[in-house]
Amino acid sequence: MKIQATHEYNAPPEKVFTALIDPAVLQKCIEGCEQMEKTGEDSYDAKLKIGVAGIKGNYTGKVHIAEKKPPESFTLQAEGNGGPGWVKGTAKIQIAPKGKGSELRCEADGQVGGLIAAVGSRLTEAAGKKMLNDFLRKVGEQL
Amino acid sequence: MIPAAFDYVRASSVNEALDLLAKHGDDAKILAGGHSLIPAMKLRLSQPKIVIDISRIGDLRSISQQNGKIAIGALTTHYEIESSDLLKRACPLLPEVAGKIGDMQVRNKGTVGGSCVHADPAGDWPAAMLALDAEFEIAGPNGNRSVTAKDFFVDILTSAVGPGEILRFIHVPATANSAAYVKFAQKASGFAIAGVAAVVDKTKKEVAVAVTGVAAKAYRASGTESSLRGVEPTADSIAAAAEKAADGVDPLSDIHASADFRAHLARVQAKRALWAAVSRG
Repeated sequence: MKIQATHEYNAPPEKVFTALIDPAVLQKCIEGCEQMEKTGEDSYDAKLKIGVAGIKGNYTGKVHIAEKKPPESFTLQAEGNGGPGWVKGTAKIQIAPKGKGSELRCEADGQVGGLIAAVGSRLTEAAGKKMLNDFLRKVGEQL
Repeated sequence: MIPAAFDYVRASSVNEALDLLAKHGDDAKILAGGHSLIPAMKLRLSQPKIVIDISRIGDLRSISQQNGKIAIGALTTHYEIESSDLLKRACPLLPEVAGKIGDMQVRNKGTVGGSCVHADPAGDWPAAMLALDAEFEIAGPNGNRSVTAKDFFVDILTSAVGPGEILRFIHVPATANSAAYVKFAQKASGFAIAGVAAVVDKTKKEVAVAVTGVAAKAYRASGTESSLRGVEPTADSIAAAAEKAADGVDPLSDIHASADFRAHLARVQAKRALWAAVSRG
């Protein structure tokens, strides 16, 4: 499952980059992120309650930030396990200056397994897109 | 296939249901026909602590016409719409759509309001409601408010009905315009991979075309509509306009159909729906 998204920000790439690798900002912007704990350099354990509308599940997962090239790109690796199944994904994030602000491009590649994959495959991509877009919009509000 | 434990309460009026919603907040889910909620609960994808059953609120199960407008209670079943003589006469698009939903069991129990509020991106009703410019009457703690179809379907599984609110009625115009609904359905579920509702006003030379199943939410194919504005709807003009039925949308992709295939189906079904509507008039 591949998901792409772009988002424009009124802040320069440096500021967007710093916000995106800040666990406090991530926790605020990931809907349903209840806890985020540092376990090592750029590595975090997270507790999430995520989903769409009434269909939500609890997940515990790991988040790792890799290939940091400030301020233009990094890779976010995440995996989570929970009641409705498991999710695993990598997101390549590129930030380029655009006008006075910046433009972020995100290319995510994710897999889902377990119950959500068996019964929810019709909806997982659309749900993933919605969550990614909501996240990028909320990051903008934090800048 | 056994749901997690939950409490059950049956509300006898909209106000009672609203009070219960206010009291239980996020822990509560409204049960209408139960054909989306119960499967999700059985799979434990949805685990409400309390289910508020509104299915016996009689005044929300009705179809009536007043001053050129038809009011459909949110708890009206798909079958009641499919078999309504009033609708067959005054808004035949709705019975046609109802007859193409799921299977007989779903049509007998599932409700038009439940389906719209659930806002499944592949549901059939959103296409019809968008094409008819339906208005949704929503009850909340601060009284009633009205939302047009284009603002009602917000995103995947998200409608304008907020927490603490309940959909009461859907209002559609009585219309002499010819209309049609065609869909390419997923075989097992009957859900639309691409479904298109078309309404044609031959005197004004205006069309309304709405597409469901293709994107994260149903949408009006504005490119198709504008190319037929003021134009005689012929086989050629319809074919050209239908080519724009997926312009500017981001089609979904899943195991049943890729994004490109969905966009292709939207164009083909738009052509068929428009042609069917024109041929009926």
